[in-house]
Amino acid sequence: MKKQNLWGFCVLPLYLFTLLFVLGPMVYMVAVSFAANNSSGYGFEWLFTMDNYKKMTEPVYLKCFAQSFRLAFSTTALAALIGYPFGYFMAKLSEKRKKLMMFLIMVPFWTSSLIRLYGWIIILQVKGVLNGFLKAVGLIDKPLKMLYTYPAVLVGMVYALLPFMILSVYSSVEKMDWSLTEAARDLGATPVQAFFTITFKMTLPGLLTGVILTFVPSMGLFFIADILGGNKIVLVGSLIQDQLTRGSNWPFAAALAVILTIMTSLMIFLYRKITHAKNLEGMF
Amino acid sequence: MKKRIAAICLAMAAAMGVSAAAEGDEMVLFTWQGMFPQEVLDGFTEETGIKIIYSNFDTDETMLEKLSQAKGGDYDLVIADDYIIDQAVQEGLVSEIDKSIVSNFGNINPLYQGQFYDPEDKYTVPYGAGIPLIVYDPELVDFEIKGYNDLWNPELEDSVALTANYRVINGITLLSMGKSMNEQDPEIIAQAGEKLLELAPNVRLIQDDNTQNALLNGEASAAFLYTSQVTAVLAENPDLKVVYPEEGLGFGIMGAFVPSQAPNAEAANKFLNYILEPEVAKQCMEYIGYYNTIGAADDIVDPSLVVPDSVKKGEIIQNISAEADEAMNKNWTEFKAACGAE
Repeated sequence: MKKQNLWGFCVLPLYLFTLLFVLGPMVYMVAVSFAANNSSGYGFEWLFTMDNYKKMTEPVYLKCFAQSFRLAFSTTALAALIGYPFGYFMAKLSEKRKKLMMFLIMVPFWTSSLIRLYGWIIILQVKGVLNGFLKAVGLIDKPLKMLYTYPAVLVGMVYALLPFMILSVYSSVEKMDWSLTEAARDLGATPVQAFFTITFKMTLPGLLTGVILTFVPSMGLFFIADILGGNKIVLVGSLIQDQLTRGSNWPFAAALAVILTIMTSLMIFLYRKITHAKNLEGMF
Repeated sequence: MKKRIAAICLAMAAAMGVSAAAEGDEMVLFTWQGMFPQEVLDGFTEETGIKIIYSNFDTDETMLEKLSQAKGGDYDLVIADDYIIDQAVQEGLVSEIDKSIVSNFGNINPLYQGQFYDPEDKYTVPYGAGIPLIVYDPELVDFEIKGYNDLWNPELEDSVALTANYRVINGITLLSMGKSMNEQDPEIIAQAGEKLLELAPNVRLIQDDNTQNALLNGEASAAFLYTSQVTAVLAENPDLKVVYPEEGLGFGIMGAFVPSQAPNAEAANKFLNYILEPEVAKQCMEYIGYYNTIGAADDIVDPSLVVPDSVKKGEIIQNISAEADEAMNKNWTEFKAACGAE
C-alpha cells in the first residue's frame, strides 16, 4: 500500500503536466473551433458558431483532406513495401551486422530533418545530381523536372518515415519463434506457404504498428510537401498553417485541427480493433 | 531628512535644466536598425550641430505601441511602414511636416505620394519603397515579358516561381484584369480566382523564402519576386531581365514622419530636408537597397534602384473587408491545389 502511494506521488507531476499541456490546449482548440473569426486581422470572438465546420464542406477544403489521405496512403503503402522485407531480413542477420544496420538507420536522425530534405533538393533539382547522372549515362538529353512534383513529395515522405516501419517490423520478426516455421516445413509446407501461414501472421502486429506510425504522422507532415512540393500539394497540415499565419483565421484552423485529430484517432482505434492490441508494439 | 530631499530635488532640477539646454542640439530618430549609413548621420551633425540619437525597434507594431504610450512625444522622427503610419495618423500621433523648413519637399518622386495613409502629402516623406517585380531569364524565355498577363502565356508552362503571399498574388491577378489590388466586390474576386486557376499549369513553385534561387538553379525561367530577392538575384546573374509590369505596381512604402509631440520637431524637419538632398538620398537608398523615392536623385542613384518613368501607377495593399479577405483566401487555396494537380 505504502509503495503504491509513493508510486502515485512520483507519477503525479507527469499527470499534471499532461493535463496542463496536452489536454488543456486540446480543450482550448475545440473551444476556439466554435468561435467566430474577427473581421479585422488577428483574433476571434467567443460567439458559438458552426460556421467553421460548415466551411470545411466546401469542395476546395474537402479536396485538401482527399489529397492528405491520398498522400498518407501512398506513403504508408510504399513504406510497407520497402520496410517489411528490410526489417525481415535485418532481423535474420548476425548480431554484429544487426547492430551495424541499426546504427546506419539511426545515423540520419542525428541530422535535422530540414537539412536532409534540402539534400533531396540538391539531388532532384534541374541542375542536380540525379539529372547530371542521367545525362552522363545518356538516358536523357534534357534535364527532367523532378522537384516540386507529387512524386518528389512522396519520395521525401517515404524517406522520412521509413525507419519507423523498418524498426517495428524488425522488432516483431526478432521475437518470432522460428521453431514454428520449422515445424510447418517439417509438416510439408513450402517456404512460401510457411511464410504466409506462420511468419507473416505472427509479424502482422509489427507491420500494423509500422502502418500506424507512418500513416498518422504523414497526415500532418506538411513541411515536406511545402519544401519538396513547392507549396503546390495542399495538405490539411499546410492549410492549418496557412490559416494560422497568413490567412489569420484561427477558428477555422482550430476546426480543421479538430477534424484531423478525430481522423487520426479513428485510425488508431481501428488498429486496436483489428489487432486486439492493448499497446502499440514497438512503440515503447 | 527634509533637507536632503530638497537637495535631491534641487539637483534633479539642475540636471533637467541642463538637459533642456542641450535639447536644441539633439534629436531622437526612431526606426529599424540599419536604415542610415553612418556618414549620413555624421554629415548631418557636422552641418547643423544637431546630434542624432538612433533608437530602434523590431516591428512596426512595437513602434506604434511605444509612440502611443509616449502620447506622440519622446521621439522626434519615426520611419516605418505605410499601413502603420495610417494607424498613427488616425490616432493623432503625427504632426504636419513644416514645409518652410523642408524646402526640398519637391524632390520626392510623386509616384510615391498621395497614398492612402497621407492623401494630401501633409505628414510624410517616403523613404524607400519595396516593389515586387517580375524577373526572367531571356535565354530561356523566347518572348518579351511586359506585364503580369504575360505570366499566363502557355510558353511558360511549368516555369514560373511565385512568392507566397495570398494578398499579393490575388492583387497582381486583379491588376492584370485592370482592377484594384484592394478590390472588395466578391464577384470580381471570384473572377480573379477563375483567372488564377488558369495560371496554375505555369507554376513551378510557390515559396516565400529565397524564391530567387529558382531562377539560378534552373527550376524556373520567370519569377515574381520581392525587392530584396530581385536585388539578390541580379547580383548573382546580371543578365536577367527585370520587368516593371505595365498593368501597375504593388508597393510597400516606408515613410518618415514627425510625431505630434516631438520634443525637437525643428531638428526633425531639418533632418528630413537634409536626407532629401539628392547626394544624401543617393547614399541612403544605395545603403538600404530599396527603390529610390527621391526623384531628384534618380540620375545619380544606382539605376537598378530607380523605377522607370514609364511606370505611372502604383498601389498599396490595404486592409479589406472580412468577406473580401475570405474570398481571396479561398482563391489562394484553390489556386495552390490546382498547381499541384497533375
